[in-house]
Amino acid sequence: MLYLQLFVVGIQTGALYALAAAGFALIFGATRTFHIAHGATYVLAGYSFLAGLAMGWHWLLAVLLALLVATLFGILIEKYVYKPIQRHRGGFFTVFVASFGVLIAVQSIIELTFGRGFQSISSPLTRSQELLPGLFVAPVFWVVSLLAILCFLAFGFILGRTRPGIALRALSDNPELLRSFGLSANRLSLLAFGLGSALVAPAAVLGIATTGLQASSGTHIMLISSAATIVGGIGSVRGAIVAGLLLGVAESLVVALVNTQWSEAAAFIVLFAFLLVKPSGLFGVRVAR
Amino acid sequence: MVGGRGIHRAVRLSPRETQRAFRCEGCAVIPYLVNLATLIAIFGILASSMNVLLGYGGIFSVAHATFMGLGAYAAAQIALLITPDLLLACLAAVIVTSVFSVCLALPSLRVRNEYFIVASLGLQMVAVAVFTDAHAITGGMGGLVGIPQAELFGIPVGGGFAFLIVCLAILVLNLLIVFVLMRGSFGRSLMAMRDNESAAQALGKNIPMLKTFATLLGCSMAGIAGALFAFYLQFVNVESFTIQQSILIVAMVVIGGIGTFSGPLVGAVLLLLLPSALSFIPGLPAEDIGAVQQLIYGLLMVLLMMFRPSGIAGRH
Repeated sequence: MLYLQLFVVGIQTGALYALAAAGFALIFGATRTFHIAHGATYVLAGYSFLAGLAMGWHWLLAVLLALLVATLFGILIEKYVYKPIQRHRGGFFTVFVASFGVLIAVQSIIELTFGRGFQSISSPLTRSQELLPGLFVAPVFWVVSLLAILCFLAFGFILGRTRPGIALRALSDNPELLRSFGLSANRLSLLAFGLGSALVAPAAVLGIATTGLQASSGTHIMLISSAATIVGGIGSVRGAIVAGLLLGVAESLVVALVNTQWSEAAAFIVLFAFLLVKPSGLFGVRVAR
Repeated sequence: MVGGRGIHRAVRLSPRETQRAFRCEGCAVIPYLVNLATLIAIFGILASSMNVLLGYGGIFSVAHATFMGLGAYAAAQIALLITPDLLLACLAAVIVTSVFSVCLALPSLRVRNEYFIVASLGLQMVAVAVFTDAHAITGGMGGLVGIPQAELFGIPVGGGFAFLIVCLAILVLNLLIVFVLMRGSFGRSLMAMRDNESAAQALGKNIPMLKTFATLLGCSMAGIAGALFAFYLQFVNVESFTIQQSILIVAMVVIGGIGTFSGPLVGAVLLLLLPSALSFIPGLPAEDIGAVQQLIYGLLMVLLMMFRPSGIAGRH
């Protein structure tokens, strides 16, 4: 029963990770930018949601605010930080450092504004109920699962059926060919950043409802998203989603075997296993050499 | 709470370090400056050894605090169990970090760029879990307390000024090693590998050997810095060796000037003077100093990468 309980918690965390990782993977696949500041988007979205609630808004409005802030932030970072660096022919490490700088700066601004403590919301949804003897599930679990599935369906539809979505996939496959067809890679990369960042907003809201949020949660989300992207296989959004779920479950189950200190390391133990055995990841096409 | 978030701390020195380095209530100015200079010397070693990996070798590790920690724990155990001799402690630190540097060298041979960064982040995360869990060796969360003052050939050198001289001497020695090696054929091969791995390989450079040796060099120097750090605080715990510390060391190198000789030193001085400079600002609450410090160096990282990627000491 303990394992089942941990598994349920793991799925809940995993759904959240999958949302964040899908955005990270989309951005990395389409633009080749290792978007460390994705974690900053997460924290910003979460605190915008809380600020909306604090102003007495309806929670749906607050979610919309979080979506808007996340999308805008992603687009602005691409336009005003990454693009200028890439224009000066900065290498990937230059972009990585700048991105990390954004994450650190945003986290400290949040800390100065809202303090360092954990923020969470309590509602009838977040109180656990006993489903089976010894198995406690809060109704929010079903909300999380449903919302994640809905997000992925919408996401899949955009990438699979709409013109910009197809163009995005083309961008990750072959940027030169895309340009020769007269599509703008610049505008598409902004779209990738917008879409990928928008996915973080529901993740952040769910994070507040399940585990809580603090200024430094961004670092954790960044670590998980980047690990999930590699485990899933670079360039595969589907892989990142599966890997996100896998990492959430691994993190939760590890608690049953060793102590909680290992939960953060669990994701990386899975990652090392993949790097050793199958560096191309779950759904990867190109081998990382 | 499931999903432990034990190491989500902001990038800041642990309370004890802050006390030793930046709180100066009722003490004279001189010991305060000596303390600060000692810390700068230790971090100068860390930053310049990080630069061997990042700047000269193109090995983008974000796990330097892991090796600093390994060195610190090794030295602390030697001092607690056998003798507080500084040379022996440093030797132990070098041996331990050299052995474990394989953990970094292996992924660097297998995977590139982003993959390697994530692998090193992972190494850092796993290391923190091990440091926290292995009570017998590291004392777990509580850490190792009561590390005796350092001695050199039986002469105690743990006191403020004497220890500063020792740290500076080791810093100079470390800089000398880097300077000589990077001027020689090893350094040139290393930089060739950094600039174009395939071309270097085609010219017959032994890439695995270069990467392994560069990693060994950088990590063992970090281990020595860790040993000095343990004697400096006379206390070590896992909080000094988290990912935040790793990022701080990377930031020192990058802000100072990656791949330059003096850059890491400039960065170390700058980022360590920052909190003490901030503590003189009237009206800034003490608990906010850490966050303001982070904000400044986060912004520095972004702005420098945008407008001057070569760093402060780098050629424009």
